[in-house]
Amino acid sequence: MRKRPIATNDPHIRALARIVGEEAILYRKEDLIAYDCDGFTVHRHLPKAVVFPNSTEEVAAVVKYCHEHELPFLARGAGTGLSGGAIPLNGEVIISLTRMKRLLHVDLENRRAVVEPGFVNLKLTNSVAHRGYYYAPDPSSQYCCTIGGNVAENAGGAHCLKYGVTTNHILGLEIVLPDGEVIEIGGNGVPDPPGYDLLGLLTGSEGTLGIVTKITVRLLKNPEAKQTVLAYFDEVEDASQTVSDIISAGIVPAALEMMDQTAIEAVEAAAFPVGHPKDIAALLLIEVDGISAGIGEQIDDILTICRRHHVREVKVAESEEERARWWANRKTGFGAMGAISPDYLVQDGVIPRSRLPEVLREIANISRKYGLRIANIFHAGDGNLHPLVLFDASQPGETERALAAGSECLKACAAVGGSITGEHGVGLEKKEEMRFIFSDEEILAQTAIRDVFNPKNLLNAGKLFPTPGRCVETKQVSSTVK
Amino acid sequence: MSTVTSERTGSPACATASLGNYRFADLPDPSKWADCVHCGMCLESCPTYEQTGEEQHSPRGRVHLMKSVGEGKLDLTPDLLDPIFTCLDCRACTTACPADVDVGGLIEQVRGQLRQAVPLTGWKALVNDFFLKGIFPHPSRLDWLGRLLKLYQQSGLQTVARKTGMLRVMPDHLAEMEAILPKVGTPVRKKYRNEPLIKAKGETKRTVAILTGCIMDVMFSDINEATIRVLTRNGNDVVIVSDQTCCGALHVHAGDRETGRKLAKQNIEAFQGVDHVIVNAAGCGAMLKEYPELFRHDPEWHEKAEQFAAKVEDVSKFLYDTGFKVPKAELNVRLTYHDACHLAHGQGIRKEPRAVIESIPGVEMVAMPNADRCCGSAGIYNLTHPDMAQAVLESKMQNVPQDVELISMGNPGCMLQMALGVMKHGRNQKIVHTVQLLDWAYQKEEGKDVRI
Repeated sequence: MRKRPIATNDPHIRALARIVGEEAILYRKEDLIAYDCDGFTVHRHLPKAVVFPNSTEEVAAVVKYCHEHELPFLARGAGTGLSGGAIPLNGEVIISLTRMKRLLHVDLENRRAVVEPGFVNLKLTNSVAHRGYYYAPDPSSQYCCTIGGNVAENAGGAHCLKYGVTTNHILGLEIVLPDGEVIEIGGNGVPDPPGYDLLGLLTGSEGTLGIVTKITVRLLKNPEAKQTVLAYFDEVEDASQTVSDIISAGIVPAALEMMDQTAIEAVEAAAFPVGHPKDIAALLLIEVDGISAGIGEQIDDILTICRRHHVREVKVAESEEERARWWANRKTGFGAMGAISPDYLVQDGVIPRSRLPEVLREIANISRKYGLRIANIFHAGDGNLHPLVLFDASQPGETERALAAGSECLKACAAVGGSITGEHGVGLEKKEEMRFIFSDEEILAQTAIRDVFNPKNLLNAGKLFPTPGRCVETKQVSSTVK
Repeated sequence: MSTVTSERTGSPACATASLGNYRFADLPDPSKWADCVHCGMCLESCPTYEQTGEEQHSPRGRVHLMKSVGEGKLDLTPDLLDPIFTCLDCRACTTACPADVDVGGLIEQVRGQLRQAVPLTGWKALVNDFFLKGIFPHPSRLDWLGRLLKLYQQSGLQTVARKTGMLRVMPDHLAEMEAILPKVGTPVRKKYRNEPLIKAKGETKRTVAILTGCIMDVMFSDINEATIRVLTRNGNDVVIVSDQTCCGALHVHAGDRETGRKLAKQNIEAFQGVDHVIVNAAGCGAMLKEYPELFRHDPEWHEKAEQFAAKVEDVSKFLYDTGFKVPKAELNVRLTYHDACHLAHGQGIRKEPRAVIESIPGVEMVAMPNADRCCGSAGIYNLTHPDMAQAVLESKMQNVPQDVELISMGNPGCMLQMALGVMKHGRNQKIVHTVQLLDWAYQKEEGKDVRI
């Protein structure tokens, strides 16, 4: 890597450069601007610096320095997060983990692998595929997102309907705590160790409790067989009802995805079109996998259910190539919004499957109310909605309208007994919406846990939980004083 | 499109519209960055991001910076040179992008602005001007350069230089380049000076012109010869248009769009009388097809450039589309294929060259993982950014199969760079151009003694 002599007198920059090396720190505005947001582009803040540690020791040394000098800091992976978890709200020192990207160990006998946090999700599957294994959590950004980031956000993905989200695949973590201490939890692969489930607590803590520097993950054996179905519907309600009926029929698809008309318009205008008809109201992408015996019957059942709900056209992928094209089209769906809109904001509400039709209707109402188009691409099987609010940030007031529309979508989800996030995390984006599902006391109980790990609140402050209301603030002060 | 273009107030009579902090003529196209929603799908496709892990060296980060200048949040400062000029312009991000953001095109436009705001100085300016303005656009001077190289190689000076260690005075990357210089032949432009039309073998189906190229014709005139033989063998009369010049890609990559336009105009006029312009250098082909981009603000030339671009075709695709004769002789060779960036990402040509190669009897194609990953050549990037080019080449070489005899590709820059990779890794693969394989097979079919 090229040497970049430090050209600043800022003592912190110079000190950090001594820890990680001159070639592993950025501090000029021209470089920092690239770090002013992640996949959530609505809020932007410049970091103080970006450092690229190469080892756990370097991460710990940087953290210790920040802790001692009261510098706010946060960790960042590929920066593909959709809720702003890596936005340096307080001018943080960003600890970028992109150079810690080694695959440290593969242990197929015990079906596990150890990776550094910057290792890209899909690369893990690619590294073990030839031996018949894969890593199950598959967020759509898996081409580029890091497993460290997946742990922070407890990332989901299309196939989490059957296989569970990231937390179900994490066996152990090495973590640098906010004061620089390095601890290990789990790791030996023994399921359900005694004591509190710290792995569960850390996974999905959105970078507020510590910085993950080593991850032991579970690997799965490739399913023996796999079949994928594509179904086109003229009515959203028919597609929704099909989803409900497939699940109630006792079928557990590996994936059950829906896209609506606006979403189809985007993916067809973008780089990986499939040739979906533009006049359909919704499509379903359904995948079943497992042992070969019985797959055919499941497909037959699915086709029958689709037909019962007036499917216009339904087909089974005839080749791996066709299947891959359908998935590339689906998985690049968010980025494809660029083809039809300058900006988008994606929401991540979860609802009971049975309420799908009414919530989708409500989202359509919200779209009309705010005069903004909303596309829906989502994991229908587990009721995880992704309304994509399309807007143009250069138009005065449009960003605010988009944010309000997004918030109202989440309110609609919460109102039917759902949640405000399924897999993208709360981050900066949805922290106020936490109030839709938690009382002040419940939020306080959680920030109390954060304070145990992160007492100075220097690590990724201002994320995940709303700014406390007055009475909560008072309580917090009294508990701190005590 | 959202960004507002505003006239600068109080500027001189020849006022140029400005866009944020872009203030020189030929403004970047804001619709290019408006397509980017910052999803990050491009990150892993980018060789410089792979090497650095740094966002400002990623396509998404670069677009973000270029947009920031357009929005007036950043100025065209010397500190912007690093992110903008470290891009290989390999276009892999365009292939990866779900929204088809033209990052490469945008980078070239912004380099045009940045180079004017922060002109080159010192020896860099001298070297740049000497080669890009003084040599490449002038066929006769290129011939001289060729003759000098030939003299160097044939007089024994090269042997002396290598043996005495004289080359050690040069920077490492230049000395390495010297070591892989191909044997210089006679440029076809010169050879066919008095024979501007080379007749097709047998019935003439159509007449095509070839772009002889600048470096191509000096360093790889044998490939130009092979191209002519393969084209004539397939029923094409071949014209060597005498007024043609360098395509201008190196200039446009370097931010010198003015020279790029000058060369473009010369080529557009030179090839006016022909229907097909066949190119055997991927980088040049992509540039010729993108001439309209250079004339976004000049409707008259834009139209001419559009008409010209429609005539341009890569030799492998042209042969494939027009139904080339499948050779009958066997080559009996194991090889692999490397996608030149400006062929695969720049022109979307992947299957055609492979089909041409695989049609040759006795050829066994071994797939190269990540075949469309840049090799680090990127025009003269390996000279301007030797460290990064070297790192990118290292990464490429990890994917080149061990058990092949040849590595085939469709771009001269890649050929030099891959030859360097082979040499540095102590490998023994020979680097060949796709048309050379076809040419050898045809020659063998005619009973000639072909030694690969």
